[in-house]
Amino acid sequence: MSSHTAVAETQTQWAGGRSPFNVSYGKLMMWIFLLSDAFTFSSLLVAYGAIRFSYSTDLFTPWPDPAQVFNHFPLAHGIHLPLLFVSLMTLILILSSVTMVLAVEAGARMDKKAVGFYMLLTIVGGAMFLGCQAWEWTQFIGEGARLDQNFFGFTASAAEHAQQLGFGDKVHWTPADRVPGPVPFASLFFIVTGFHGFHVLSGVVFLIIIYLNVVFGTYERRGHYEMVEKVGLYWHFVDLVWVFVFTFYYLI
Amino acid sequence: MSAHSTTENTGEYIPETYIPTAVSHGTGELWKTFWILLGITIVDFIIYFSWPSSMPMMARNITFICLGIVKAYFIIGTFMHLKYERMFMILMLILPAIVFLGMLIFGLLHEGNALSTY
Repeated sequence: MSSHTAVAETQTQWAGGRSPFNVSYGKLMMWIFLLSDAFTFSSLLVAYGAIRFSYSTDLFTPWPDPAQVFNHFPLAHGIHLPLLFVSLMTLILILSSVTMVLAVEAGARMDKKAVGFYMLLTIVGGAMFLGCQAWEWTQFIGEGARLDQNFFGFTASAAEHAQQLGFGDKVHWTPADRVPGPVPFASLFFIVTGFHGFHVLSGVVFLIIIYLNVVFGTYERRGHYEMVEKVGLYWHFVDLVWVFVFTFYYLI
Repeated sequence: MSAHSTTENTGEYIPETYIPTAVSHGTGELWKTFWILLGITIVDFIIYFSWPSSMPMMARNITFICLGIVKAYFIIGTFMHLKYERMFMILMLILPAIVFLGMLIFGLLHEGNALSTY
């Protein structure tokens, strides 16, 4: 009988019984925020796909082949190495996701020292990723790419494309040519990877704040490490978005 | 210390501060997920360089998107812990995403030709 009255009391507080889905308010709100953020990123990526598709029959301003554009690797000047650098960035981000989830696991065991250690590794991983992205941007900007200009016009892949369409012998194509190409290639690259990189940057800032709280014992006193879990959700989301940026920008 | 945490978790129920107790599932599954994600990324890498030009690029692109969705499943399910949450929470998050994405992709595929620059 007494348990019945307890249930009645909780119902007046949440108007829905116990905490919905058995997760706390903060975690549920983080999930809903991430859902809305997923809408934003998917809009950007679908817009990228649609604009790229709109150039698929364009013979004179063909969409550049990512392998011809993002083919640099630090300390390997002039060597054609497509996909290698972004794969390294992907590896760094996946590893930082693992250390984040290890910090959450240590938090469930109330192991303050391990939480601090793994969070520090996650911060280092995030900073490394940001450094890689800064380097990639520097290369791309150095080749003349701006928000409103792109010099990856006629390339070897464009020549191949023209061959397939049967116009191959009508235009002279050389891979070395640096002529204006589709502007959205550069602008969408800067907008989408910039938006993602800004998420990583703010994620690193959040991680540093939570890390300091861990070190100062705030969560030890509070009795639980749920803030680590919440910032972890955000961090994994950033990794999730990168999976699709990697797929649509570099692989396809 | 422990007395404080027990009053917070099992004492008077205050919705704003109620925290369900965190459970550790061990680190084995987490590392397994890491190796799966790394393996899929390596498969991506191999497909990218060894896709035969005789086969359609569309098939390659669909493979990449499917592998991306598999990666997303492991990140959301294990790393973000979603597969241990209540079924209706999973649906609350996944269904709107599917409906939104489905409508957006359908719309832009349907109107895609009108965007053509050539």
